[in-house]
Amino acid sequence: MTDQHTSTDAVESELLDFLAGQTRSRWEPETDLFAAGGLSSLFAMQLVVHLEKSYGIAIRGADLRLDNFRSARLMSALVRRLQAAQSDGLDG
Amino acid sequence: MGDDLAEAIASASALVADRAGEWDRTGLLPRQLLRDLGAQGRLCAEVPTQYGGCGLGSLAGGEYTAHVGSLCSSLRSVMTSQGMAAWTVQRFGTARQRDECLGRLTGGELAAVAFSEPQAGSDLAAMDTTIRHEGDAVVVSGRKKWVTAAHYADLLLVFGHYQDGAAAVLVPAGAPGVRVERIAEPLGCRAAGHADLRLDSVRLPPDSVLGGHGLPLSLLVTTALAYGRLSVAWGCVGILRACLAATTEHAAARRQFGRPLAEHQLVARHLAELYTGEQIASRVCEHASRCWDSGSPEQVVATVLAKHVSAARAAQGAASAVQVLASAGATDGGLVARAYRDAKLMEIIEGSSELCQLLLAQHAISAAGASGPATATGFGAGDLREAP
Repeated sequence: MTDQHTSTDAVESELLDFLAGQTRSRWEPETDLFAAGGLSSLFAMQLVVHLEKSYGIAIRGADLRLDNFRSARLMSALVRRLQAAQSDGLDG
Repeated sequence: MGDDLAEAIASASALVADRAGEWDRTGLLPRQLLRDLGAQGRLCAEVPTQYGGCGLGSLAGGEYTAHVGSLCSSLRSVMTSQGMAAWTVQRFGTARQRDECLGRLTGGELAAVAFSEPQAGSDLAAMDTTIRHEGDAVVVSGRKKWVTAAHYADLLLVFGHYQDGAAAVLVPAGAPGVRVERIAEPLGCRAAGHADLRLDSVRLPPDSVLGGHGLPLSLLVTTALAYGRLSVAWGCVGILRACLAATTEHAAARRQFGRPLAEHQLVARHLAELYTGEQIASRVCEHASRCWDSGSPEQVVATVLAKHVSAARAAQGAASAVQVLASAGATDGGLVARAYRDAKLMEIIEGSSELCQLLLAQHAISAAGASGPATATGFGAGDLREAP
């Protein structure tokens, strides 16, 4: 799953599956996971590690703001942006 | 990497030699030894080589940490602090901050990480420290408690409220407004340089604040602590290994009632329990480190488990070791006496046993699918919902 430019839809649906596996419930692409779900900082950290491993990206510094992880859609946008930045050689 | 690890381990043995007892009694590690180890990148050996570190993976770094922990928990505590500072900078720092700060942390400068406050121990969300912009500076104000290695540190990584969330800020220990007040007689890790901090309107350049903004305090602290917890867990493996070696040696050599202690069944049970503890702690730490090395999201829970299991086993194991060595182990500064005091502290720092149990219980509930969506996967459920 480390192809460059994984399509946004594919990322989004993989993330929804990951969330379902971890939380045992289905989430909508735009549901705010942390506002509605009472999800925790440990879970947010799991999401960071999952995204890094699955998509070959490094999420560092200001990209770690919670607004990037609020929903599957926002996370897939983050993945797309970081993959594009890396293939442009703009790491970090 | 194997060579690096073997060399680091041999070098640590040679540096510590038989001096850990003296350091414990005097409450001080030789500053030059810390600087030398730091300049070799061996106080934060998991920092990538591009930043001057040894580039050890979590498993190799863990074995190294355990070895240092078997020699001297005070030195291991300083390593945990340095490693946690480096890991936090790696995670939350900008590219420039990573380049500059990690270079310093692998170049001989020493760091400490400040979370706890007089009114914010386990409940870190209650912290009062503030980091705010004032003109062309950031100003840090607050009090921190029980900051490991702060007595030696050149750099203090201080956590506090910042804008609409939280941030960590790099504070030079010598900056005006910083006071480092040493804790005179800590129960354990007596030479680890624990200190309280007073930060009175400390003015710093704005780029002292790590990374961006909008980070919730809980996420920032959880991430930084993850490294510290695994490091402490491996340190506890070291305590267990040292206690097991001292206890088996004594029980085989010392004779009472006409035979070696080890042949007395009640003593043999202590040996079996110590061995069991060392094996269990090793396995949970190895598992957690493999999760880190493979990038598995399970690393988050595996780390809490490793810290909890290893600290509890170390405290039990060290108590058994003192019991078996009896008068031969009851002198302050001696290996098992140090282990006894040091291990007890490990059940308290970096998330107390009770806090770890809460996190593990919440994980168990959610992993069983026993909670509805409102609390699902609540590792500290809901701690991100309300901005502190």
